[in-house]
Amino acid sequence: MNAIASRFRASPYHEQGVEQDQNAQDSVLWGSQGGFGNLRAGAPPEFVVPNVPSPTAFLQLHTDDHADPNCRIKIAHGTTTLAFRFRGGIIVAVDSRATAGSYIASGTVKKVIEINKFLLGTMAGGAADCQYWETYLGIQCRLHELRNRERISVAAASKYLSNLVYSYKGMGLSMGTMICGWDKTGPALFYVDSDGTRLKGDVFSVGSGSTFAYGVLDQGYHWELSDEDAQELGRRSIYAAGHRDAFSGNTINLYHVRETGWEFIGNYDVTKMHYDGPGNIPGAPVGGYGYDARVSTV
Amino acid sequence: MSIMEYNGGSVVAMAGKDCVAIASDLRLGNQALTIATNFEKVFPVTERIMLGMAGLATDVLTLRDRFRFRVNMYTIKEEREIEPETFAHLVSSTLYERRFGPYFIEPVIAGLGKGTNKPFIASTDVIGCINFAKDFVVAGTATDKLFGVAESLWEPDLEPEDLFETISQTLMNAVDRDAFSGWGAVVHIITPEKVITRHLKARMD
Amino acid sequence: MSAQERRFNPYTENGGTILAIAGQDFTVIAGDTRQSEGYNIQTRYAPKVFRLTDKAVLAVNGFAADGNMFVQKVQQRLEWYQHAHNKEMPLRAIARLIQTMLYAKRFFPYYVYNILGGIEDDGSGAVYSFDPVGSYEREACRAAGAAQSLVQPFLDNQIYFKNQLPPSGGAHPKHLPLKEVLSLVIDSFTGATERHIEVGDGLEIYIVTASKRPNADLEAIANLKQVPGGFIGGEDGEKIYVVRRELKKD
Repeated sequence: MNAIASRFRASPYHEQGVEQDQNAQDSVLWGSQGGFGNLRAGAPPEFVVPNVPSPTAFLQLHTDDHADPNCRIKIAHGTTTLAFRFRGGIIVAVDSRATAGSYIASGTVKKVIEINKFLLGTMAGGAADCQYWETYLGIQCRLHELRNRERISVAAASKYLSNLVYSYKGMGLSMGTMICGWDKTGPALFYVDSDGTRLKGDVFSVGSGSTFAYGVLDQGYHWELSDEDAQELGRRSIYAAGHRDAFSGNTINLYHVRETGWEFIGNYDVTKMHYDGPGNIPGAPVGGYGYDARVSTV
Repeated sequence: MSIMEYNGGSVVAMAGKDCVAIASDLRLGNQALTIATNFEKVFPVTERIMLGMAGLATDVLTLRDRFRFRVNMYTIKEEREIEPETFAHLVSSTLYERRFGPYFIEPVIAGLGKGTNKPFIASTDVIGCINFAKDFVVAGTATDKLFGVAESLWEPDLEPEDLFETISQTLMNAVDRDAFSGWGAVVHIITPEKVITRHLKARMD
Repeated sequence: MSAQERRFNPYTENGGTILAIAGQDFTVIAGDTRQSEGYNIQTRYAPKVFRLTDKAVLAVNGFAADGNMFVQKVQQRLEWYQHAHNKEMPLRAIARLIQTMLYAKRFFPYYVYNILGGIEDDGSGAVYSFDPVGSYEREACRAAGAAQSLVQPFLDNQIYFKNQLPPSGGAHPKHLPLKEVLSLVIDSFTGATERHIEVGDGLEIYIVTASKRPNADLEAIANLKQVPGGFIGGEDGEKIYVVRRELKKD
């Protein structure tokens, strides 16, 4: 643990006993060298780590919601996301709720991160971890394109991300993401999480509402779905999770990844789907998704 | 997770001009899972008094029955209907009986005095400390959010229809920011002539 | 960890609440001025809202020491940017900068909830809100701090018109005029002061206006002061005004 911590330590209390002022570190960060700018030789960014015997226990004490719901620093968590591969590409559907404890911090979170025109990443777990590292992934993908004069494959992109988070394994990152894209091998979907798992697959759902989404997704899924039916399946699955899971809901964001890149299909309010349904879209049923709306004879 | 957040749910009551309103959401949950969207938390005590209870669902149902028994006994012995303020004290003493092993609920009482039609609202904590409010009372998982909206929207001497709008907007906007409340709402307005009950078309997520 | 071990806790909570609302060509950023710790009031006037550039204002809330330090660090980075590039950083770039600065302390976070408000390059009002480790989103309005759960649902109802049907034949207005936005801000804080012990004493409101905005509606506001700026835009450029109001001191 100490080996990992000392690699990233940039605090003033450095081991050599040199009084390295915070300024010394900051002078490297000025101008456009800051933030992602100091990615010299591909090294990951430097992080400040508290000078305590166990930095991970420290972080967990102050930020981990599961261990202690009364912890002070409430990090916004993301919640139901799904993606599946089919004949027509990949459908990516996510909800938009972020909760901090039981408070709904936001109902308009963008949980699909547009890495580049051909790659999408989803967000579940810690919002900042997903946003920050998927931006970093976008930088790596662009560098790959510049170095190799070729678009990066989804397998390689997901491996960049997976190796990166693995190097922080145990430090408290929380991230469950799906990297979706269309490359030389066709539509490709990888699940990557902060434990270091990286899985290639056809159907994934991640988050607190994933069990509800799987229920609808698994019964409706097959490879030969039409584009409209696939979009409807994605939408209906997230609706199911938004309705039943307390930590998911607000709106559904639906994307379709095709050979020509990703396309944003639409944003749908979960309650509007409950009462009125998606409206006059091909593939969608008439009327609301909600139980009462479907059994009412009025 | 706290026992008060296990099932979720919220209740609010407001006082108006010769009327009172009491409202609750309809969710019954099992931590993050929502199991019912028709679990009302407001019950009639007499024709002019209603009691809402937020907290652990099993205690809500148990106390609904215990209060029904106690109010019936009161009516038989006193040969008259119980007044709202007296009922509030009845609730308080019932909860205090369990001082060292409490019922996990926060009750909210709303009613009109029998002869005077004076509006009355009150709430208590889990062990029966009564809060005799003049404006509004809140309880449940969305307490903070209810306080915030109610404080800004409420004004004194609202007519029944205006009170209905105020309490509805308070409840709906507050529970939309709470993960454990919502999935429907019901509002009761108690006036000297009758009780008007309306279900609201609320967010179902 | 045994019961005897008592590690130094580097964080504490200083209370208070901040709020920002984006209009069509202005943004309002407000914060109360009380700083507390537990049941004690440390001071009745500790500003939480700070000018960054002519177009950007940052409000910080949570742990005051981290907040004040973070603002100074952001101001330092903006000054370096100005020297390196001979121009002011656009608002969306400042938002991204704040993300990377916060994430750099992912393993020893700044216990600060930030709200960045100002005028975007296209002249529209913008509000960006952050969590302590850097995740951010552009929004139309956001409240943060001790009384956020009291204020935000009220704003949802009054700014976004949530749970309200539009007037017959019409739609809800997309943007509200400045006068109404200021009333909503003041009402939000007086409501929060009533029901939350950590909010009160005073209210400080910053108004950032787009370049070439007539600003006639500002003349009616009592005790309005202009915040001296960098004069990059000159008379026609973005302007920042500040107004203070009293809140209950109990």
